Amino acid sequence: MEAAAIPAQQAIPAWRTNLATIGALMARAKNELLRVPGAAIPGVLAPTIFFLGLNGVFGALTQLKGFTTGSYESFIVPISMLQGAGFTGAAAGVNLARDIEQGWLDRLLVSPAPRWVLLAGTVLAASARSLIPATFVLTIALLLGAGWPGIDGLLVTYFMVAAMAAVAACWGSMLALHFKSQSAAPLMQAGMMALILTTTAYAPLALLQGWLADVARVNPVTQVVEAARQGFVGEVTWAETWPGLLALAGLLAALGALALREMRRTGE
Amino acid sequence: MASTAIAVAGLERSFDEVLAVQGIDLEVGEGEIYGFLGPNGAGKTTTVRMLTTLLLPTGGRATVAGHDVVSEARRVRASIGVALQEAALDPLMTGRELIRLQATLQGLPGGEGKRRADDLLERVDLVAAADRRVGTYSGGMQRRLDLAAALVHEPRVLFLDEPTTGLDPVSRKTIWEEVRTLNDEGTTVFLTTQYLEEADQLADNVGIIDSGRIVAEGTPASLKAEIGHPHIRLQLAEGSIAEAEEICARIGPLLPPVDGRTVMVEVEHGAGDIPRVVRALDDAGIEVGSLELVRPSLDDVFVAKTGYHLEHETEGSSEGEEEAVKA
Amino acid sequence: MSGLATNLRVVGALGMRSIRQTFRRPQLMAPIVVFPTILLAIQTGGAGSAINLPGFPPVQSFLQFMLAGAMMQSLMLAGNSGGIALAVDIEMGFTDRLFAAPISRYTIVLGRLAGTAALGLFAALWFLAIGLLFGAHIEGGVPGALLAIALVTVTAMAVGGIGAAIALRTGSASVVQGLFPLVLVVLFLSSAFFPVGLMIQPAQTIAEYNPFSFIVEGVREPIISGIDAGDTAEALLAIAGIVVLGLVLSARALRHRLRVG
Repeated sequence: MEAAAIPAQQAIPAWRTNLATIGALMARAKNELLRVPGAAIPGVLAPTIFFLGLNGVFGALTQLKGFTTGSYESFIVPISMLQGAGFTGAAAGVNLARDIEQGWLDRLLVSPAPRWVLLAGTVLAASARSLIPATFVLTIALLLGAGWPGIDGLLVTYFMVAAMAAVAACWGSMLALHFKSQSAAPLMQAGMMALILTTTAYAPLALLQGWLADVARVNPVTQVVEAARQGFVGEVTWAETWPGLLALAGLLAALGALALREMRRTGE
Repeated sequence: MASTAIAVAGLERSFDEVLAVQGIDLEVGEGEIYGFLGPNGAGKTTTVRMLTTLLLPTGGRATVAGHDVVSEARRVRASIGVALQEAALDPLMTGRELIRLQATLQGLPGGEGKRRADDLLERVDLVAAADRRVGTYSGGMQRRLDLAAALVHEPRVLFLDEPTTGLDPVSRKTIWEEVRTLNDEGTTVFLTTQYLEEADQLADNVGIIDSGRIVAEGTPASLKAEIGHPHIRLQLAEGSIAEAEEICARIGPLLPPVDGRTVMVEVEHGAGDIPRVVRALDDAGIEVGSLELVRPSLDDVFVAKTGYHLEHETEGSSEGEEEAVKA
Repeated sequence: MSGLATNLRVVGALGMRSIRQTFRRPQLMAPIVVFPTILLAIQTGGAGSAINLPGFPPVQSFLQFMLAGAMMQSLMLAGNSGGIALAVDIEMGFTDRLFAAPISRYTIVLGRLAGTAALGLFAALWFLAIGLLFGAHIEGGVPGALLAIALVTVTAMAVGGIGAAIALRTGSASVVQGLFPLVLVVLFLSSAFFPVGLMIQPAQTIAEYNPFSFIVEGVREPIISGIDAGDTAEALLAIAGIVVLGLVLSARALRHRLRVG
């Protein structure tokens, strides 16, 4: 039998094959939501509980000087949306760990698909999924009186959310590929939670205390938070947006590279 | 194009302190079925994982379909089909979706993938279940699906890691037939198994691996011949033993008797010698109760090379293949 | 041998087992203590400026205020974890062995609670140590600290009783684990993280009536000002209520489990 495989590959440009593969992997990822009853609930519930809880508990903080808005809902809804993104991305890492444990990843690794394509499928699927809890939390927040961020604010926030989910998915994937076990799940979730909350999540930078103020100042995700929050507390400006984009680009590059390195090293 | 489908030289793999594969050499020609036989933990799966680029060797070299498994891994992956021991299936997908995903992974365009999926599903008799979730499939169905997925891009070399472990006899036979058909079509098959009968039935060449080393290699027949010739075991009426022994001794060397009613004579030509023996005894008026041709089995080869029996032998033969012929 | 003596010995043995189980697997114990510690650090830094709000009770620092809430969080996670452990015992058939023995059914629950109590004790000590390490004063001195530790330990057992009841009723570890968000909800709707008077409606009203708020105040007072008989009494009453609830639920769940098998 002649080798039919190689001519078939040469007949189609690589970029089309890669794109088709990424699409197919994303299509598979949606099965988790659509074919497992109740699978979407934890991802939506966690940020919503946090939103309602934080709002009910710390809402009075807006009385302090330094807050540019009187509505704590407006102030923290972008945090909850980003938290949802972090949760979704980390969950993608947990799913990958499960796939590794059950041998599914071997199927992907034995195929000629490039490793970055396999990673992209997981990461982009997480980005797409993150829009669901984000929309749910946003709806609740708007019903509770959060300010409408405007179309520009909304777009910026959603973009930050999707990109943050990608960052979280890279982090989760890296851990999954390194530990090859679902027991790393708490680390995936906790890592993202810590990253997102050690920012100006609860209050503006001037009102943060002690060590948190120092960490928030250097934490790149603070820029993401500020960019995502703009429309909810004021006007959307390029000056507020580009640092967030830069932070996301840097995090994606770093964590993506680490995840890819782990993917390439699975055979060692 | 190389006429050797798989070439392995000094292949080694260690995990921390443990040397799981200790420098093995083997060659598999194109169009051959190679059976890699050994007990659990012998190193079969480790070897397969190295040859399918899932694991990096820590020593030695290997080429599959003419490409080095380390430096040309991607080309190897494009040329091989793999069905691993743990069927790498997603319970939430349907059978059809899985084969089509595999087609995409292999770089086949959408229409082509759809066509091949339809063909393969029919070939492995999964058309009725094609649009049901894999999680609802039986073990046999899952293996057939795994096999079909491995074939979607018509690979030159097919790796099957314990393809029938845990299957019922009917499913096992189905897989065997499929493997034979594939081989007839020209596919090289590298198959690992812990079942002697499987290696004996399917393989052109067998490599016996134990504790990370190949302890014997050759065709099933040549391996068995190495161990010894077959013998004919005769159950006779009392009183005729002495005369029967005398007659049989003229045909071949006698084996030590086990009881007073059995005569065992080694025969060089196996079944071909049965008529001689029967005629000779008949001419002498000796009545034969039963006659069996006992051939050395691969287990005998295994015992000779390693000192112990191959475990997990659930299929009939453990002492030898027996063809009972009522005289 | 009297029945009571046997039962006590069994409780002791099961208790030792559950304590050993808990502390032998640090990766299971860690989330119970580490997660609230991280949250404590973040919330202290993030919302610490709240002490400047008009109406905020006089405290030395926000950390001093939050210690009680962190202990609450830990003990509730400990109760949840005890429930999970019991559910695992049920799933693995270990409890069948106990049911078949000539001992009181309650020893199974009480034995499990010993482990939860130990965790609660550990959590109380941990957060007091953290507080002292980072400069918080225990205004009630040693008696205040002891009172806080005692209340936390007993509450852990009370919550553990509810966790055990759920485990007995459902027999499923994953169901008990799925109740973890509920723990957070209950805490958010109490005075664990903020003075009730400064919370936003409707959370404020719910927190006012939440029995856990009374318990939190009972633990908090000795730390931020000193032992107060009224607060302590209210806390004990709330704990008693939860204990009774746990007992009732456990009894019914036990009967259900023995019927269902």
